[in-house]
Formats: sequence, structure tokens, C-alpha cells
Amino acid sequence: MIKELQSKLKKSVHQGIECEEKRKHIVLEGVVDSYDEIIRAGYLAARDEYKGVVNRLKVDGLEDKSIRIPTLSDHQFKDDPCDVLVIGGGIIGCAIIRWLSKYNLDILLVDKESDIAMHQSSRNDGMVHPGFAPKPGSNKAVYNVKGNQMFEKMAGDLEVPFKRVGTYMLFEHYYYALIKELFFRRAEHNNMGTIEFLFKDEILKREPFVTDKVKCGIYMPTTAVCPPYEMTVALAENAVLNGARVSLETYVYKMQKDKDKIMKVYTNRGEIIPKVVINCAGLSADFIAELADDRFFTIHPRKGQIAILDKNKADRLDCVLSIIDLKTMKSRTKGGGLVKTVEGNIVVGPSAYEQPYKEDYSTTKEDMDELLEKNLSYIKGLSRSDVITYTAGNRAATYKEDFIIEKSDYVSNLIHIAGIQSPGYASSPAIAEKACEYALEILKEKMKITDNERYDPHRKSIPRLDKFPKDMRSDMIMKNRDYGHIICRCEHISKGEIIDAIHSPIPAVTLDAIKRRTRGGMGRCQGGFCTPLIMEIIKEETDLKMEEISKKGKQSHILYQSTRVKAGRNDD
Amino acid sequence: MMIEYDVCVIGAGPAGLSAALQLKDCSVCMIEREEKPGGILKQCIHDGFGLIKFNAEMTGPEYSQRYIDELMTTDIKVYMKTFVSNINYICEKNIQIELINPEQGMFQIKVKSIIFATGCRERTAKQVFIHGERPAGILTAGSAQYFVNVSGYLPCRKCVILGSGDIGLIMARRLTLEGAEVLGVYEIKDSSSGLQRNIAQCLEDFNIPLHLSETVIKTHGDDRLTGVTVAKVDSEFNVIKGTEKYLECDGLILSVGLIPENELTKEMGIQIDSHTKGPIVDQNMMTSLKGVFACGNQVHVNDLVDYVSKSGEIAAKACMEYIKGNDYEKEDIRIKFDDSEFLYIVPQVINRQNENMNVTFFFRSSRKLRDAYVKIEINDKEIVNKSYIALNPPELQVIDIALGTLSQHDNIKFKINQR
Ligand SMILES: Cc1cc2nc3c(=O)[nH]c(=O)nc-3n(C[C@H](O)[C@H](O)[C@H](O)COP(=O)(O)OP(=O)(O)OC[C@H]3O[C@@H](n4cnc5c(N)ncnc54)[C@H](O)[C@@H]3O)c2cc1C
Ligand SMILES: Cc1cc2nc3c(=O)[nH]c(=O)nc-3n(C[C@H](O)[C@H](O)[C@H](O)COP(=O)(O)OP(=O)(O)OC[C@H]3O[C@@H](n4cnc5c(N)ncnc54)[C@H](O)[C@@H]3O)c2cc1C
Repeated sequence: MIKELQSKLKKSVHQGIECEEKRKHIVLEGVVDSYDEIIRAGYLAARDEYKGVVNRLKVDGLEDKSIRIPTLSDHQFKDDPCDVLVIGGGIIGCAIIRWLSKYNLDILLVDKESDIAMHQSSRNDGMVHPGFAPKPGSNKAVYNVKGNQMFEKMAGDLEVPFKRVGTYMLFEHYYYALIKELFFRRAEHNNMGTIEFLFKDEILKREPFVTDKVKCGIYMPTTAVCPPYEMTVALAENAVLNGARVSLETYVYKMQKDKDKIMKVYTNRGEIIPKVVINCAGLSADFIAELADDRFFTIHPRKGQIAILDKNKADRLDCVLSIIDLKTMKSRTKGGGLVKTVEGNIVVGPSAYEQPYKEDYSTTKEDMDELLEKNLSYIKGLSRSDVITYTAGNRAATYKEDFIIEKSDYVSNLIHIAGIQSPGYASSPAIAEKACEYALEILKEKMKITDNERYDPHRKSIPRLDKFPKDMRSDMIMKNRDYGHIICRCEHISKGEIIDAIHSPIPAVTLDAIKRRTRGGMGRCQGGFCTPLIMEIIKEETDLKMEEISKKGKQSHILYQSTRVKAGRNDD
Repeated sequence: MMIEYDVCVIGAGPAGLSAALQLKDCSVCMIEREEKPGGILKQCIHDGFGLIKFNAEMTGPEYSQRYIDELMTTDIKVYMKTFVSNINYICEKNIQIELINPEQGMFQIKVKSIIFATGCRERTAKQVFIHGERPAGILTAGSAQYFVNVSGYLPCRKCVILGSGDIGLIMARRLTLEGAEVLGVYEIKDSSSGLQRNIAQCLEDFNIPLHLSETVIKTHGDDRLTGVTVAKVDSEFNVIKGTEKYLECDGLILSVGLIPENELTKEMGIQIDSHTKGPIVDQNMMTSLKGVFACGNQVHVNDLVDYVSKSGEIAAKACMEYIKGNDYEKEDIRIKFDDSEFLYIVPQVINRQNENMNVTFFFRSSRKLRDAYVKIEINDKEIVNKSYIALNPPELQVIDIALGTLSQHDNIKFKINQR
């Protein structure tokens, strides 16, 4: 079998590829001519018989861009023991520690960044998928549908806005009516409840701005929207209030093992001695697996660019639109759609294409132009000038294209939660529940597990005064005058809300962190007016100097030296 | 209980201040969301303000201080740090405004008339579709101006300025004086969008190059900006392959245009002009809603503050008449012009029912022209023919005329002819 794969790879991709079977997976090695060949080889090797593909192929001359690593170095940890060490503070890691905090455990989450949710979990559409797209029987299908069902309660408990808006999957040809049974069958296989087939006039009754090119569509009522950065923060805050610890700017770079067991985990802030390790490091999950000598997959980043439209176009759409045709249905690089968020912005995208760099979030004119041209044409009255901002994210895809949610086969105290790409956000509560179950199974052999009496599933969000009834808002301002001082004029965010974020359970002291918690700076002027004001507030509330306040930690400071204090002169 | 005033002026920049001070014999309140009055002038510490109005060269703060001092002697109620959350135009002379501030919480006032003087905001990097990475160090010229002049900090040490708007030009000089290096100003069009005076005084005097038909196509850097890629463009603004150049810098400062702050007016359903992006006004600065006036940069972006103040005075005068009950029906005649000749003309409409037919027109030509005539025709009959040595889009032009009585179907048209 391996022989046949080897010759196929050589013949159809590149002569220089060597493949080898190791444990239960395939390893590819050699030098090829292009990044595209690396990807093609990876997919060819992804076969049912093997657990995964470790793709070590290289391209000569391809620039090597490293990921972000903290500059900080200290001794916060000195062989600190903990029961569970969770690596990665995205939606998955944060959901896991929240689930684990139901039990009396010493839980520690580490993330290399200055805040949680700095990678995939703040760079997505925030859509809670209905569970139609994943292949029936796959992990994706199972966890997505289950996650969707669990999401509403989670959002309610944590006071994160959540709205079940439904998806219209739109077609440009009437002949899709002929194959509607196929869609119904898929929905049934994936247990996602009833879906409807609709002709254009019916769609128009519900979404009056859909354009003429749409002929029919499928409606899936269970799709929901929920802001992903807010949810990630809420989960982490709730876990912290229930006793879990979160350590930021903490980068895992080495593990020490004794036989099949991880003994010690090394970070730039010292060493940790965990009973169980959960690997949910997103785009770097393969690196963490490698540190534990249990790598059986490679994450290849699939980029998606996203554009966000001004709230003043909120009336144009009240749901999620997904745009499908037979040609792109099976492709991994389809992409697109329109998502109306709870805040009233329409999110356009994401696109999907392979590129080599895990943390390169640059956008390009070509892709953005295509994305806008394609998607905006489905709704009347949307144009490029409605775009207030755009961004990109990279999906943590494996060549098998399914979630990896399992206890390691070779390391007794390691759990992998990897390859969590879309619909990873939608699936997060179900994944967390499973990860928690696995962790308890391992821990039970080492300790007695009891319930955490302090556990409270509820978390109070920072008040969004804008959304309060008038008299209540006035009362709040009378109690705290800062709630009456509007700082972010586009999103109507007050000084009080920003101060609350700065002093929240996971303190927000960078501009991006404040943005993720309050929306301050997220509106149409993109922080043009409020950035200096928010910086003043950070300065007042923390011991940071103006020059030390940053966009997202590390070297991303906004200002250089003061122009008022000249060198060599004391300011008195 | 709702507090009542005759007029509410929203915005305490130069437009709002001059409007408020002109309002006599009526009760007036002013609403300003910032902590101090003065509007954007607070951060414009260079001189060149007041040339026309006071025949003196003043800085921005000096100019506005004259008005603020006078304001202190009046009994105008000024609500500072106060944010307008909603405006409800119930009917003529009954408008309810919902406000928020730290002292009173949420409260409402009732007024007969509103003068909008909310100024403008800057176009952002995203609105001009700059691509690449999104590190710290990319900011608008106005934010840079605030950091340097108000906060007292340098936002960059070596920068590129994109767009040749006036604030960008002024910041090129300001940053140079503060010890930063300005590599150049890049302008995608083939001519500058700033005033000639600023190009001479802010760029040429400091040997800062102005690159026309060149733009920034990519930003680089993860945490802090490390550089930008610039390239030449053709007449359709397409990048000319092979002209890309990497410039190392830690700041990208954008001066790519200003847009009237039209959120509130839009929400009220007031008609917006697609050319100016501000409300459509008549010769009295009245918007499409009766009793609602607008002035200053909220109507169109001025290059001289003196004109801003003037528009505030016009609005105030008409507003007083309106309050007094010297009422007139709205019967607007739209000014016609060709987009290929003019960027915009303000006022956009003339109300023929009004007594005041002395109209001050502001306009910008759509391109650079030498030896040109601007003509105003009523029903193809020429009533104005003014010659200009040069017309340039960045330079706002003014024509004062006395229009006679107009009838319903009169056709008013602006034209440009070249010699
Ligand atoms: C453009 C785009 C759109 C998407 N849209 C949707 C959608 O609408 N709905 C949906 O369900 N899903 C969507 N997804 C997928 C979803 O975003 C992800 O599945 C989900 O966010 C994954 O979360 P995570 O916690 O696994 O990973 P991440 O959020 O990437 O978190 C991993 C964390 O690990 C940390 N880390 C990595 N290495 C180390 C180390 N060595 N030491 C310490 N910390 C480390 C990182 O700093 C990071 O914070 C989208 C994805 C993209 C890219
Ligand atoms: C960033 C920037 C820099 C500039 N620099 C120069 C320069 O250097 N030289 C020059 O000649 N011209 C400059 N201009 C042009 C300048 O705007 C005008 O000359 C003049 O200041 C406009 O006056 P204004 O009163 O219309 O608006 P502004 O001065 O902008 O005043 C508007 C006021 O309204 C307030 N406001 C707005 N909305 C609300 C609301 N909803 N509720 C309450 N209050 C509100 C604002 O806080 C502000 O105080 C600059 C403009 C900008 C935007």
C-alpha cells in the first residue's frame, strides 16, 4: 500500500517526495517545487487507512515566517504542579477550562499572547452552523450539531448575546429543486432537524432585499450568531471566577517525558508539572503534539478574508446567507456568504485559500475584491463603500479535514483537540464537554475527583448601557458617572464600560483587548477619535505609561517618546 | 419634566460657536460631546486661521478662544460631555432630543429648531482599502495631530504620509519639527488635494518630496509597522507592475479625505447629497426638514475656518426668523451642474419662497483648470459670468449673488467654460 502511495506521489506531484509509514500515520519528506505541491501531496496521502499525515515537505526558497513568541521571560512558575494544563486560549481552551471548573481541580490555561482569543477565535464569522456542511458521521458533523444545541444555554448563562437567525442556502438555478431530496437526506443524516426548500418568492417575503439572481434555496432554522471574541472572553472569565488560572504571554516550547508520560512542561515563564495536558493550540497543535513526541498530523493554514459592513446597512439582511453551486459544493476552497451579526453588522466572507504561514493575517486586494464582488451582489443596496473594516484568519486544517478529539495513543496524560477549523466555534461546547470527560478519565486514576462547590455557571457581562432601558441606564449613570461619559461615539461605549473591561477577571490593558470586550473602537471610524481617549483611561487605571500602551502587546505600542520632556532635562 | 429651549446647537466647534453667538432674542442651548468647546481647532496649533474674518493670522485655539470668551458672557446653556442618543422630530417646532451625560444621566430636551454643527470625520485606512498586515503605527492625520499637539507624544519616528490632504501636509511639517523623519507624501491622483500654500510651507520648505500618481499598496509588520510598499499607478489608479518599492518606516499617516459627520441627520431622514456626503441645504442652510439647519464641515468640508464661521452665522439668522414665525413653505429648486465640471455646489437648493435671495455659493471644480469662466444661468439666461485665472479642486470658491424672484419651474444651472 505504501509503495503504491509513494509511486502515485512521485508520479502525480513530484519526484522528490519520500513517504514512510510511522506508527499509524504517514510521513512525507523531501523537497518540491511549490507550496501547491506540498498541499496536493498532503491530500493525496490522507487516506482512510491512516490516522493522519505528517507533511514535512519543503520548498526551496520559500520564506520561513515564524509565529509570534512572547519577548517576556520570567520565573512565574517554578515547577508548579497543576491537575490540568490547557495549552491554547482560543474558544476551545477557554470552553474546556470552564467545563473543568465544575470540579475541584487545579486548572491552568496558558496562551502565548497578551490576551486570549487572538488567533482563530477572534478571526471568524461567529456563526453557529446548523451542521449541514460536514460529512455525515464525521467528528465535525457530530460535534457541530450537538454544539449548536448546547450553545444557547451557554450563551444565556454567560450573558453573551445570541440570536437564532437561520441560514438561507441560495441557488441561482431552478434545477436545484430537482435535487432537494438530497439536501433533506443530508439534514436527516446529520440529525439537524427539519429544513425547508423554498422558491424565490417565499425567500423574498422573508428577506426582501435578495437579488434577482437567486432562484430558490434551502432554509435551515437552527443557525445562530454569537460574537466569538466575547464568548471566548466570557468562558475564560467564568472559569477564572470558578477558580481556574489563566497565564498569558506564556509560550510552551518543550516537554520532558518519562516513558509514556509528560512530566514537565517548559515555558518562557518557568516550568509546570501537570497531571494531564490538553493540547488545543489551534494552528500550532501539531507543534505541541511534536513536543510530546506524538505528532501524527500537520496543520496547514487555510486563510479566510472577511469584510465587515457598516451597521447602517443592518436592515438589508436578517439571517445568514450561504451561497452554493454544484461546482464549489465539494471544494475545500469554497467560501463566502453573508452573516448578520447580533450587533447589526453584516459580515462578508470568509474566502478560503491555502498559504504557508500560520499567523500571517495580511489581506490582499485580489481576494478582497473577489469576495466583495461575489457576495455583495446577492443583496440589493450593498456596496464596497459600506465596508468599515476587514481582516483575515487562518483555519487550522489537517489533511484529513476532520476534528481530532481524542486521548493520545502513545502519551498517557495527553489529550489532543486539534484540527479545529470551521465549524469549530459552533462545536465548542460539545468539544469541551468531551475533552473534560477524557481529562476526568485520566485523572480518576491519580486522584479523587469532587465537585467544585464554588462553581457558578453564570457570569455577569460588562453592562452594555446602550442596550438598557432608559430609566435603568439613567440609574446606572447616577451610581457611576463614568457610564454617562461616551468615549466611543460610533458604538456608544462609555468610559465606565472601558474601566470595567480594564478591571475584569482577565484584565484588558491593550486596545485590542478592550475592543474585544466592549466594542470600543470597532465602529465606522475605527478608533480614529477614541483611541487617544481610551489610552488616557488605561493610563489612569493601570500603572502603564502612555508609551507602553499597545495595540496587542509585545512591540505594538502606539506612541514613542513624549515631545514635552526633552532628553537630559527633568520634568518638574 | 422636559426642559425647553427655542434652539439647540449641536457641536461646539467654530461653526456651532458662531451660530450660537448670532442667535438673539431666543433661548439657546449647545451640546458638545467633548470636554471642551472648540471642535477640531483645539488640535490645530499652526497659524493661518482668521485671515478673512479677523484679518489676522491666528492659531486654531486662538481663533476659537475669541468665540469661547464671548460665549462665557452669554446665557446660552452649554451641555458639555453630552452625547445625543436620539432625535425625535415630532412635528414642526416640536423636536425632542435625548441626551446622555455624566451629570444628568439620560434626559430629554424639547426645542423648536436644531442647528447641526457636528463637523466631519476622517476616512480610514480601511475605507481606502489598504491591504497587507495591520500592525500599530497606521493612523489618520487627525489622530496623529491629536497625539502630537494634545497628548504630547510622537506616534512615529520615520513615516510615510498617504494622501495629500491639508491635515497630512500640516502633519508632515509638524512631525519634522518634532524630530521625526517624513520620507514623503504619496498621492494616488496626479495632483495634490491640499492647498498650494500648504504644499509650499509644509513640504517644499522642509524638502519633503510629494510623489504624485503613487500610492501605498501594502503594509508590513506584525506588532509595529516595519515598512510599506509603494508603487506608481496609471490614470485608472491601477498599479504599474515593476514600480513597487519597499520603504522602511514605523508610521503610515493617512490624509485621504474627510466626510461630514452625518449619522444623526441620516437617522432623522434628512436628505444627504451624494457629492458632499452632508445634508442638502438651501440658501439659509436649512436642510430638507423644516426648522433643522446645518453648517460648517457637517455640510461640506471647508478649507478655511472663516467660511465655516460664516455658514454658522447664515444658519443662525435664518433660524431666528424661523423661531419668530416668519415662516415660509419649503419649495426648493435644485441647482443643476455637471459632475464632470464640479465636485459639488453648496447650497444645493434654493428656496424660492424665502425673502432672502442673497446667496453665497461655495463650489469646487472637479479638475484643475486655467483661464476658466464660471457661469450661472437661469433658464439658459446668463446671470453671472466670473473669470478665474485658475480653478483647482482643493481650493474652495465663493460667489455671492442676489437672485431675483424665482418661479416654480425655473432652471438654475452652473457651468464652466474654458477660454
Ligand atoms: C476566517 C475564518 C472563519 C471562521 N468562521 C467560523 C464560523 O463562522 N463558525 C465556526 O464554527 N467556526 C468558524 N471558524 C473556525 C473557528 O474560528 C475555529 O474552529 C475556532 O476558533 C478554533 O478555536 P481554537 O481554540 O481551537 O483555536 P485558536 O483560537 O486558534 O486558539 C489557539 C491558541 O493557542 C495558542 N498557542 C498556540 N501555540 C501555543 C504555544 N506553543 N504555547 C502557548 N499557547 C499557544 C494561540 O496563541 C491561540 O490563542 C472560522 C475560522 C476562520 C479562520
Ligand atoms: C482632524 C482634522 C484636522 C483639521 N485640521 C485643520 C487644519 O489644520 N487647518 C485647517 O484650516 N482646517 C483643518 N481642519 C478643517 C476644520 O475641520 C475646519 O476648519 C473647522 O474646524 C470645522 O469646524 P466645524 O465647527 O464645522 O467642525 P468641528 O471643528 O469638527 O466641530 C464639530 C464639533 O461638534 C461636536 N460634535 C459632533 N457630533 C456631535 C454630537 N452628535 N453631539 C455632540 N457634539 C458633537 C464635535 O465634538 C466637535 O467639537 C481639520 C479637520 C479635521 C477633521
